[in-house]
Amino acid sequence: MALSVSEVLPVAVPRTRRQIWSVGGGKGGIGKSLLAASVGWQLARMGRRVVLVDADLGGANLHTCLGLPTPERTLADFIQHRVSSIEECLTDTPAPGLRLISGAGDLLSAANIKHLQKVRVMNHVRAIDVDVVLIDLGAGTSYNILDFFLLSDVSILAVVPEPTSIENGYRFIKSALYRRLRAAAPTDEVRQLVDSALDPKNSLGIRTPVDLLARVEAEDAEAARVLRREVAGFQPRFVVNEVRDVADVGIGHQLVAACGRHLGLRASYAGFVHHDDSVWQAVRRRRLFMADAPTSRAAEEIRQLTRGLVKGESLGHGY
Amino acid sequence: MDTATDLYAVLGLEPRASREQVERAYRFCLELYGEGSVATYSLLEPTEAEQQRLRVREAYEVLVDAERRRAYDEGQGFLPPDSAVLAFPVPVSVGAAAELPAVLTGADLRKIREARGMSLRHIAAVTKIGMRFLEYIEEDRFACLPAAVYLRGFLQEYARLVGIDPRRAADAYMSRLPAKG
Repeated sequence: MALSVSEVLPVAVPRTRRQIWSVGGGKGGIGKSLLAASVGWQLARMGRRVVLVDADLGGANLHTCLGLPTPERTLADFIQHRVSSIEECLTDTPAPGLRLISGAGDLLSAANIKHLQKVRVMNHVRAIDVDVVLIDLGAGTSYNILDFFLLSDVSILAVVPEPTSIENGYRFIKSALYRRLRAAAPTDEVRQLVDSALDPKNSLGIRTPVDLLARVEAEDAEAARVLRREVAGFQPRFVVNEVRDVADVGIGHQLVAACGRHLGLRASYAGFVHHDDSVWQAVRRRRLFMADAPTSRAAEEIRQLTRGLVKGESLGHGY
Repeated sequence: MDTATDLYAVLGLEPRASREQVERAYRFCLELYGEGSVATYSLLEPTEAEQQRLRVREAYEVLVDAERRRAYDEGQGFLPPDSAVLAFPVPVSVGAAAELPAVLTGADLRKIREARGMSLRHIAAVTKIGMRFLEYIEEDRFACLPAAVYLRGFLQEYARLVGIDPRRAADAYMSRLPAKG
């Protein structure tokens, strides 16, 4: 069932300093879960009350990243009404202030929770009394994943410096943006134009969000204004993971430039994390490298990255 | 002006960019649109990337050549990169506090501001103080000014931006306010 962002957002959310952060990326195996776990760990070290939510449908393993056995209660119990509140699914972690809602469970492996279930999960996630809810999204561009990404105050897009990851990253960004635009489209005609844009070989010649806005502008200036506001509000923050050299670091700047020039998006470069043997050594010990190797380069980079994300800072334009 | 004709925008620069910035931006764009660039290969067709490389090269060739850049800037109405500009934000100079008179009028503030080449709109944009209040301050329309505690804050923000001692400036201006009765 098609789901608009406005349908998902509860009408009256009490304004608190609570924030929702999410880590997406489109591709599997690029370190999203470790990134989420370590950023969450660092946020907790910085005094935030944090809940990590493992929404990696079908591939939930955030608990392992944190060195925990499979939790007794998971998101599946909440969805199946075996527990009455989402708080009952919270699992403590070794880090004070950091708790986990595990996604481990066969129910979610279909990656296909129903519309109403998803709305219920989202509303309850938003209501958890903490400072930051940090959601680890799965791979792919399913509506479940995109909606969690769009729901976030801080939308982190992880990539590794490889063509496949970056290609999927762009696909993820475009899918999320078009979904956001579709939800905001004020008329059926504009919604149809957004739908056309989703097909990269559409007959209207719309290949990018920039083309789409130009087309909408020509037909309905007021609708174009609405869509432009949505585009401006969509600001993914790139994190380049598994960096090996200076050129890899520069890729983050190039992605931001390419998004601005060719997709019309105001993305930013939140930071990068070097490939670091101490990370996988910690993984093999089933420990988080932030605790296992706190002096490693990767751990220091996570600390820098998290501080920047909290302050809303980025790494500039790279030249 | 759109990006198709703005040579600075082609390189992702502002019109006052230094020669060194032009060089760095050019190298960045060459990598961005280079053959096999991981950042653009899946976003642009090879012919589009080639077009971008051409535009980048053309922009660079003009902006790196002092003569051609001057002609281009003149044509576009841009100030030359080496022209004197006011520091932004204007730093508070060490001697500024001592030079302030004990009493400051709205007209005095306006003179200081205009001497810095700063518009009221700019101050409003930076400080987020409403234009209306800034005008009242400069026109000495005391009856229209907000409560003293807010006015002091506004005056200090204003003073900081035009480069005079914020506390002394607020005191000097507020010394003329009619006593509350």
